[in-house]
Amino acid sequence: MPRFEYLEPHTLRQAVSMLQQHGSHARIVAGSTDFLVRWRTGVWKPQYVVNLQHVPGLDRLSYSPRNGLRLGALVRVRALETSPVVRQRYPALAAAAASFAGVQVRNLATVGGNVCNASPAGDTLPSLLAFDAQCRIVGPQGERWLPLEQFFLGPGRTALQPAEILAELRLPPPLPNTGSLYIKHSPRGAMDISYVGVASVVSLQDRGRVCRDAKIALGAVAPTPIRAASAEAMLRGQTITPELLKRVAAEAQRLARPIDDVRATGAYRKDIVAVLTQRTLERAIEMARGAEMPFEVQRRLAVQAAF
Amino acid sequence: MPEYTVLEHSHPRVDAWEKVTGQATYAADLHLPGMLACKLLTSPRSHARIVSIDTSRAEKLPGVRAVITGKDFPNTHFGSGGLKDRYIMARDEVYYIGEPVAAVAADDEMTAQEALELIRVEYQDLPAVVSPLDALKSGATVVHSDLPKFEGYGFAAGGPNVCTLLDADRGDVEQAFHEADHIFEDTFRSQGINQGFLEPMACAARVEPNGRLTVWASTQGPYQVRAQLAGVLGMTISNVKVIPMELGGGFGAKLRLAFEAFPALLAIKSGHPVKLVNTREEAFTMNGPRLPTHIHLKTAVKDGRITAREAHSVFDVGAYLGAGPNSGVGHALGAYHIPNFKLRSYGVYTNKLYVGSYRASGVADMTFAVESHMDIIAHKLGVDPLDFRTINAVKEGDQAVGGARTPRNGLQETIQAVKERLGLPKKLTSDNPNEARGVGVALCEWRSGSGPSTASISVNEDGTVSLLTGSVDISGSDTSLAQIAAEALGVKMEQVIVAERDTDLAPFTGPSGGSRIIYSQGKAVQMAAEDTRKKLIALAAERLKLSPEALSCAGGRVYVQDNPPQGFTLGQLARQSLTSKGGPIIGTAALSSMPYTPVFCTHAAEVVVDKGTGQVRVTRYLQAQDVGVAINPMSVEGQLEGGVVQGIGRALTEEIQWDPNTGKVRNPSLATYLMPLAVDMPQVENILIRVPSPDGPFGARAVAEPPGFGPPAAIANAIYDAVGVRIKDLPLSPERVLAALQGKDTEIKMDVEALRRAEAGRG
Ligand SMILES: Cc1cc2nc3c(=O)[nH]c(=O)nc-3n(C[C@H](O)[C@H](O)[C@H](O)COP(=O)(O)OP(=O)(O)OC[C@H]3O[C@@H](n4cnc5c(N)ncnc54)[C@H](O)[C@@H]3O)c2cc1C
Repeated sequence: MPRFEYLEPHTLRQAVSMLQQHGSHARIVAGSTDFLVRWRTGVWKPQYVVNLQHVPGLDRLSYSPRNGLRLGALVRVRALETSPVVRQRYPALAAAAASFAGVQVRNLATVGGNVCNASPAGDTLPSLLAFDAQCRIVGPQGERWLPLEQFFLGPGRTALQPAEILAELRLPPPLPNTGSLYIKHSPRGAMDISYVGVASVVSLQDRGRVCRDAKIALGAVAPTPIRAASAEAMLRGQTITPELLKRVAAEAQRLARPIDDVRATGAYRKDIVAVLTQRTLERAIEMARGAEMPFEVQRRLAVQAAF
Repeated sequence: MPEYTVLEHSHPRVDAWEKVTGQATYAADLHLPGMLACKLLTSPRSHARIVSIDTSRAEKLPGVRAVITGKDFPNTHFGSGGLKDRYIMARDEVYYIGEPVAAVAADDEMTAQEALELIRVEYQDLPAVVSPLDALKSGATVVHSDLPKFEGYGFAAGGPNVCTLLDADRGDVEQAFHEADHIFEDTFRSQGINQGFLEPMACAARVEPNGRLTVWASTQGPYQVRAQLAGVLGMTISNVKVIPMELGGGFGAKLRLAFEAFPALLAIKSGHPVKLVNTREEAFTMNGPRLPTHIHLKTAVKDGRITAREAHSVFDVGAYLGAGPNSGVGHALGAYHIPNFKLRSYGVYTNKLYVGSYRASGVADMTFAVESHMDIIAHKLGVDPLDFRTINAVKEGDQAVGGARTPRNGLQETIQAVKERLGLPKKLTSDNPNEARGVGVALCEWRSGSGPSTASISVNEDGTVSLLTGSVDISGSDTSLAQIAAEALGVKMEQVIVAERDTDLAPFTGPSGGSRIIYSQGKAVQMAAEDTRKKLIALAAERLKLSPEALSCAGGRVYVQDNPPQGFTLGQLARQSLTSKGGPIIGTAALSSMPYTPVFCTHAAEVVVDKGTGQVRVTRYLQAQDVGVAINPMSVEGQLEGGVVQGIGRALTEEIQWDPNTGKVRNPSLATYLMPLAVDMPQVENILIRVPSPDGPFGARAVAEPPGFGPPAAIANAIYDAVGVRIKDLPLSPERVLAALQGKDTEIKMDVEALRRAEAGRG
């Protein structure tokens, strides 16, 4: 295990200047759950490690009906899972957090790390995409905003420029009569990377008959997590029927471009996209119509192996 | 059941405190003065000639103390069974990706690792074969062209890469098939499996001032390591001392010489103690796992009874016959009495990591095939699967495959217990349209393990007794052995000290594996305790001037039966013994083998199948096993549950994946090789049946291995019950289940006719 110099900035600006100073020799870390694995196996060999943990305020989670949800980059996955407001307003995000690794890892892993790691299988990513998350990025030139959808460029590749840091994610407040769910398919009931993950957010109108807005995001079936835009479009403004949901699910399946890997074949993953899209839509619609769905039920639904 | 004072009571493990407080010393914990770290360079090629190895740059790296290659070892083949087919380190050729080609000892691991990168090996690629069925074909690429020259190679049939063939025949199979009402044929495949021990292999070696070699190892078989290590180093066994360390799981993977020879030779070369600790990745890429097995079964049924079975199994052994690949051969009959049979098990070389042992190697594969096949037959015949099994089950007096008569046993009791507890037959339903529920059963059979066992018990002046055996503690076996000694001697558990051991201290003992410790080693302990008791009584009789028959030994005393207050404590006797004619009291026993004693169990699984994704979840698991007597019920239940947990992993998620072209392990980590977690486990229910065995200590039977056999078949049968699809390929992954639900052809293809032809050609 190669040695490195350990740096502890106390402000974002300090962190940025450390990154500027050491360039590609430096790596930023948050919960280090991805970092430690890759450092131990020699995939990452930074000479400088810049630990963000001591920058105050970066772990803030707050909600206001006007601005929606603000998530500091250091908000733990465990906090997403347990936060009452996330459970209430953004159930798909709480469910995604509940499906993530095990409690010990969730206590360390950060939402910013999950986003910046940019794994196509990152569990919080489909839900964040489906809730139209915006990224606040801080860098040498100051601060800029970017829709999360434009953040992912490929496996492990993001729109972050040298010395830029993801500071915060913002999720707009959901429309009234909205329901959402994330389902992760993995053969093991915990500590498993998702083979397919689907998040659906549905907002209804006309007493729950008609879809006002729908967002569907797919994980682990393309080089980046993706929004299933054409599938969403099929729902918007339409009266909800079981046949329609089936067709939407088929469209999502069509959009998926998964590869064969050590976990599953691409063909299987495509099949699962349809199943999970339909199920997340059905549940989201139930919730949007006001059905009570206790969090423990959502958790069990979210980890498909634990059904 | 007799009244026991120590047996049949749950005792916490004698070493529990050290283990849970982290104080137990494992091989990786060793820190000897001047100790160096060892790292291994392995082959990146599937099959290649080694043109040259240049270690000069590595040797010059500061901190590097010694570098060795295959040519530094004596030019001797060794093997794990009878067949001597491998070098400890590659010499002229490499046969799989991951084969050791050089080793470095350096001041620390990082330097050793760096040195590996400076070693230049020039390879010339040779053709490789990865699939065992391809390797069987005539004209296939040959893995070992010098196979016929290997010591221990006995025949040449079945194909160019067949290195072993086990067979068993009885009766007239052809006639029985001719007269059958029905004939059934199925082919099954079971996957490659890692043993999943928590502690990756670790060992250390030091040359002592007198020239002897001391080796610390994480091993189940210190005497096997001693013999094999002496062999590959060209030393006599008396110059090697093996100290077995705490074992962090083995399951058969640590029965034999593993990597001990590398630190040993580096210690000899450098003059320093050297330690090697595998990474988890190395535990997957270098440590012999189980490889895939193909099994074809053909069965004749007449009047509802099985009259004949023909079985062909092909065990992939990888590059070397690292372990008996096919102890499964006789188990193609399962727990059934079948009068006519023809059973063949082939071991086939391929360019992959060589096979190791795992919890009754081969039997779990056979059980999956046989118990799935039994279910298929029952359904096709329209009979209840459990009834069909009950009718055909082995009974007392039936001749077992090996020829012995089946002694009294509790097979029927285990079937009955499961039937009653679950209320079978029954049909499970689900109100969720996306899922279906089902229940499946499987019978498992095995035998109690035999082999050389020794024990000695000495009585200390304070009335405690010291128990010395050569057996490494496995799954709490030390505790159970202590219980046997305590019961037999009439002392309390706290009075038994289980001595530390190494190959100098304790006489030869077979390895801790093969379900032999309680049955055989336990028998030796019981006999040694009886010997001790006899000597204690003799001494007391002498002192009391009474006949030995008038005395009893219990409650930590030897006393006069008619006047219990008269007598001596064991402490008094031990003190008296120091000046007695016979001297200090020590009881000993040794045995080489034990009679055939079968072990039977009945397993049942309830599952729920997600029809959309193919995901299977086990919701309830029940097993009933005939244990004879439960020496330590808590430990027995732990063993039963542990077996089921491993079996569920084998059934549902675990599979070593090899690159089909190169044989490289594609998932060498616990993130991609999916061992189940606590959340994946149902509540496992255990029923202990107690039909004492005629020969085991206090009637005990082996407990250890069979619980792992049942889950794959029980779960496959439950899936069939739930959704009507039959999966003959392990694991029963969501992808396979969904493919079957979608009606895709999932049948396993294997050319049995070619094997029959090859055998006929041999005459
Ligand atoms: C055992 C185990 C199980 C896991 N299971 C799951 C799972 O089920 N689902 C899942 O999605 N993931 C899983 N992971 C992966 C990992 O935990 C997540 O990706 C996690 O969210 C990463 O967060 P972190 O804070 O630990 O990131 P770190 O490891 O600290 O960093 C990850 C990457 O992001 C960069 N980075 C971090 N924060 C910032 C920032 N604010 N700005 C710019 N760059 C940044 C780092 O430089 C690094 O490249 C698992 C990991 C382990 C070890």
